[in-house]
Amino acid sequence: MVAMVNIPETAAPGEIVEVKILISHPMETGFRTGADGKLVPRNIIHDFRCLYGGTEVFRAEIFPAIAANPFLGFFLRAVETAEVELLWTDETGEEHSERRTLTVG
Amino acid sequence: MRALVIVLAGLATSASAQGAPPGALSCTGCHALDAEATMPLGAFSAEEISAALADYRDGRRDATIMDRIARGFTPEESQAIAEWIADHADKE
Amino acid sequence: MRLTRRTLVATGGTALALPFLNRAAHAQGRGRVVVVGGGFGGATAARALASLGHEVTLVERQPTYWTCPFSNTVLAGLNPIESIAFGYDGLSAAGVTVVRGEAQGIDTDASQVRLSDGSLPYDRLILAPGIDLRYDALPGYDEAASEVMPHAWKAGAQTELLRRQLEAMEDGGVVAIAVPENPFRCPPGPYERASLIAHYLKSTKPRSKVLILDAKDAFSKRPLFEEAWAALYPGLVEWVPVSMGGKVVGVDPATLTLMTDFAEHQVAVANVIPPQRAGGIADASGVADATGWCPVSPETFESALVPGIHVIGDACLAGAMPKSAFSANAQALVAAQAIDMLLRGETPGAPKLINTCYSLAAPDYAFTVAGVYQPVEGALAEVESAGGTSPVGAPPDVRATEADYARAWYATITGSVFG
Repeated sequence: MVAMVNIPETAAPGEIVEVKILISHPMETGFRTGADGKLVPRNIIHDFRCLYGGTEVFRAEIFPAIAANPFLGFFLRAVETAEVELLWTDETGEEHSERRTLTVG
Repeated sequence: MRALVIVLAGLATSASAQGAPPGALSCTGCHALDAEATMPLGAFSAEEISAALADYRDGRRDATIMDRIARGFTPEESQAIAEWIADHADKE
Repeated sequence: MRLTRRTLVATGGTALALPFLNRAAHAQGRGRVVVVGGGFGGATAARALASLGHEVTLVERQPTYWTCPFSNTVLAGLNPIESIAFGYDGLSAAGVTVVRGEAQGIDTDASQVRLSDGSLPYDRLILAPGIDLRYDALPGYDEAASEVMPHAWKAGAQTELLRRQLEAMEDGGVVAIAVPENPFRCPPGPYERASLIAHYLKSTKPRSKVLILDAKDAFSKRPLFEEAWAALYPGLVEWVPVSMGGKVVGVDPATLTLMTDFAEHQVAVANVIPPQRAGGIADASGVADATGWCPVSPETFESALVPGIHVIGDACLAGAMPKSAFSANAQALVAAQAIDMLLRGETPGAPKLINTCYSLAAPDYAFTVAGVYQPVEGALAEVESAGGTSPVGAPPDVRATEADYARAWYATITGSVFG
């Protein structure tokens, strides 16, 4: 699963930084019929989390109404040099992740 | 095939829109009815145009684009268009 | 030589604009029609209504109209700018009174178009204002920025500017094309542009590249364009869809940089096509809705918001019909026919309209999309049995034939509209 991530590499202590991620995903609702006339099985991303230094700082539950290729953006306060980990779970329950190090100082 | 192509043919924009049947006016986007027509249709009778549209519609005639357009019209609509074109095209 | 409307306006206002002729005209079911905008839609409608015997005045700002169709061939150096320039003498000769000026507003109660130096009364008004570029929609991109990062989405000086930039670029440069979300004028246009610029670069600056930054994940004739790029310009054209971070969210003209949410692209030439809306007079006259475009009746193209005003071409919301010169021409003829019937007290029936759109990937390589449209539940819908694109995988002679047809179409439509 392809995802594009934008997190600053460095920040000043206390600085507010924006985290952006765009996940390439069809977000199939399960309500749509395919060319064969049958329902296309649901295939969505269910759960999205962001850990900063191992602590959960952002979480989103995602539903079928979210369009394909979801784009999420949110803000963190940079307090320490640590790993920012973005995790999400797809229809099969498999967890995907992207990691970046945010250097504060 | 390429040789045939330039025999494209023509209708006229300025041909009176009065009484034009549904679809006929759009033909003039490519087929000018008057002057300097690159794609003149003036040389054809209503019967010939109607037959050509039927052949395009049913896939009996080679086409680049007319097959995709002709399928959008019923035989009756195609007949009305053919008659209007034959009435309005300049005969040279 | 007859007096032009402009002369009348200048010499005493339109209140005395041949009232007896108007009465005579009314007696015969003829009327006064004012058309604002002299592009494919407006010029076609003016000409058609004049040929039906109506008293037609066309209001147009510019003495010369540069067509967007085939402007990409000018960018590629295949044709001179003069080849896409047209004047209005043909329309005057066809009986249309051409007024050079700008419609300032519409007085709908009095049925008058306000000009800077007078006003024009009408029985029916056609607005064909094309598009305005939204200079408020993309951070960093305003009118001044367009002199550095040309949109070239209205042909003319902008086309020449972008051409000069391409000529001046050194080999190895990146040419970026930023494409907005739908709807916008000429949906396949950015990709034809990428193709023809690649054609120019391939022979003159082969280490260069075209980078398409797209706010969409799909586009008109995509399989055909991608086939053409692979066959004609391998490695020269890169398309970045929105799902790969292609949406441009800001620009910096000072450094020729385009920003997406995930990257900054500093390039040699930046062609920024911003979001669009109906031309200004549409908003000023109340025919545009919150989308910035104009809802219309699919039978007559009369505004759904203001009676007596018909909106055609790129400015209108024409259901499934794309914003193209061909559509504008087809809509203009349907609107002209409907207006003629309305002025004679008749009721227009349900029309059918065709759109055909040629795209050149190279001088001898073109393909098409076509559609047939009819009113369904208040909107123009595509007739499902018809339409579609040229086949993928067609042999070179078919592509060459369609390229010949593309040139024939252009010669025919410009001849019949402006000739």
